Amino acid sequence: MSSTAERRQQIEAKRAKLAELRKARADRQKSDSDRKSSETSAGSFTPRNNDVDDLLSSILRESRGPGATAGNGYLDSGELTPSSSMPGTPSMGTSLLPSSLSGRASRNSDFASSIGTTLAPSINSATDNVMAREMVPRFLPDLIDIEQELFELPTKKERVIYNKEVQTMEIEVETPNNEAETLQRGVSEVDIEALQAARDRELEEESVQLDKEIEEEIREIPPEELASILAAPELLEFVDSTTKMFYRAIHDYDPTRDYRVGTEAGSDESEGRVKRVCEFFDERYTKNRSITDVDWSPQYPELSVASYNKNAAALNEPDGIVAVWNLHLLERPEFVFHSQSDVLSVTFSPFHSNLVFGGTYSGQILLWDNRSKHLPVLKTPLSASGHTHPVYSMQMVGTQNAHNLITSSTDGTVCSWLVDMLAQPQETQELIHAGHNKTGEVAITIMDFPDNETTAFWVGTEEGNVYQANRYDRAGAKAGLNQYDVYKAHAGPVMGLHFHPTSGSVDFSDLFLTSSVDWTVKLWRTKSLAKPSTTPHVISPLYSFDESDDPVYDVKWHPTHPAVFGAVDGSGKFDLWNLNMDTEVPVVQTSVGTGRALNKLQWDKKDGRRAAIGGSDGKLYIYDIGDMAIPRESEWSDLQKTVSGMVGGGAQTNGLVDGDVRSIAGR
Amino acid sequence: MTPELEQTLALLSSHRSVLGYMLLSRGHPVSIIRHTGGVFDGEHGKKYAGVIARIVETVQSGLEEINGNENEGDDVKFLRIRTKRHELMISPDGRYLLAVLHEPS
Repeated sequence: MSSTAERRQQIEAKRAKLAELRKARADRQKSDSDRKSSETSAGSFTPRNNDVDDLLSSILRESRGPGATAGNGYLDSGELTPSSSMPGTPSMGTSLLPSSLSGRASRNSDFASSIGTTLAPSINSATDNVMAREMVPRFLPDLIDIEQELFELPTKKERVIYNKEVQTMEIEVETPNNEAETLQRGVSEVDIEALQAARDRELEEESVQLDKEIEEEIREIPPEELASILAAPELLEFVDSTTKMFYRAIHDYDPTRDYRVGTEAGSDESEGRVKRVCEFFDERYTKNRSITDVDWSPQYPELSVASYNKNAAALNEPDGIVAVWNLHLLERPEFVFHSQSDVLSVTFSPFHSNLVFGGTYSGQILLWDNRSKHLPVLKTPLSASGHTHPVYSMQMVGTQNAHNLITSSTDGTVCSWLVDMLAQPQETQELIHAGHNKTGEVAITIMDFPDNETTAFWVGTEEGNVYQANRYDRAGAKAGLNQYDVYKAHAGPVMGLHFHPTSGSVDFSDLFLTSSVDWTVKLWRTKSLAKPSTTPHVISPLYSFDESDDPVYDVKWHPTHPAVFGAVDGSGKFDLWNLNMDTEVPVVQTSVGTGRALNKLQWDKKDGRRAAIGGSDGKLYIYDIGDMAIPRESEWSDLQKTVSGMVGGGAQTNGLVDGDVRSIAGR
Repeated sequence: MTPELEQTLALLSSHRSVLGYMLLSRGHPVSIIRHTGGVFDGEHGKKYAGVIARIVETVQSGLEEINGNENEGDDVKFLRIRTKRHELMISPDGRYLLAVLHEPS
């Protein structure tokens, strides 16, 4: 700070001297013009040598002064020049002093600007001297750089001119030849004036530059202003968006990489053909929470969303969090949304790239927009018309122009909502199982629609059965639960239910997988909807996969490969199955994270290479399965054969069909 | 200084490869709102501020020159200067400017 203050002072001093010199220059110009107009003898000058000497010495001293104190940057270069020019000036002065008294005197007159005397041509030489000398003090104070240059030029020129002029001028004086005189004078004066003009220009430039310098000096902000700047919301937004940009840029591939330079071979943490890409976790938001649902964005393949439940340790934080993660931005979520109650299910809207839906523990359905801040833009009311129980499952059905959000809660209520009208559901339906011996309520834990179906859906319940239900009456079937066709096989709550996606030559959309707390994953074929039963009828699974030793919390078919599906269980294992390769054992079994339970699995929508796995430790793991996601042409027909094999050999397989339970127990 | 802003900036400066950041407010001349990292301290930091401001000005005026009088023209969004030793990332805005110096490993 002191240096800047010093500099300021020096700049001010320079300015003052500049002003002085400008004034002197103006006066000189005036006197020049006066001089031109008249031609008087040189006698008007009064030799005031003493004054001149004093003046000169004082100015020289002065010029030495700033040169000596100049400390910083700009003036540093200047420091050298006065010393170099210094020896010149006194010598110059001394050389000139003896040469002509007249010169000194005339210079004096100019400087004093009192006597508007004109000088005879003989004095022109003197004026040149004067010019030279005048230059000295003028430039010494500040424009030292220029001084150096100019100093040299005039000496050469001046000397030449001086000599010539001395010779010619003297002659001129004797012969009153005005024209010649004026010519000569004109020439010399023109030269002088050209020089002067040049000097002036440089002066001007210097001063302009000085001004700019002062302006451009980086100033410190006073604290009150600083506080107000920091409190501005635009600053927060700016910092938020730019830091995100930086993190993304940091993780980019290094374009300046040179492959010729060898590096130490990095250890590959290869877990077979299933590799972990990254793990999303944020200290601030996801600590102490568990992931309850995962989804991928249909529009941006790098975005995934995860919903979190309550952080028991931090009661001030919102109970429910939804975080949108970007594969290229690992440090923090792309967006974070808050909710007043635990968010149990989340989905990107397939038809609007900005919207995210969430179902909560309180039964509310929330809609967030990534253009807005943390809070939901729309909420369903906490009333009897909507849900009053936790909403564990939601799905968007329909087309771009006619779509609905279907949500189901644990009291058996299934509601259908219009995206922009969340004030009340478009329709509500309570699934009731009339024939149940204890209660008619159907506790839905999971719900799924087959692809391209919008009316019939299947629900998995807490008692372990899977039922089929209809949203509306249709030919041959009533709206509501189909209580007669029971898909019964699981011994515990059904945690995952997923229909086979329709893609490829053969349609397997009547196959679905379920996973349950009873450690098994089962493959089922739906009964045809055309003929619903009128009497209770039990449907058994085609096959049961018993690999796991823990509750299997989620199972999902692969989006493009017909025979591949993944399952995650409570011991932190991610099983990748390929039915065409082996129906008894998963192809790859990966241990994910620290062995804590994995809650949800979702394949990415683009090509299914990546799987997002939400753990109960609050971490979202992204795994890449590479080439295993790519189906060959024959996969579909192979799967057909496999399934028919399962159906055929159903009795021998380990399918836990009702009838076999006793025989197995007896073993 | 809102706690969120503090947290975001602290997170940035604690990133393993980040050597420091500087938050400037635009306008003539630029003024330093905040900075961290030894690189940006004191006089050196002020020099950096001046240099960065000039770089952004140059690029911006270059863009204006190229675009002539088309309405709005182009605005500098992100500058990434990779030198032998470090990488300087500059993100200007209408009002502010954030510059981050980091060492790509």
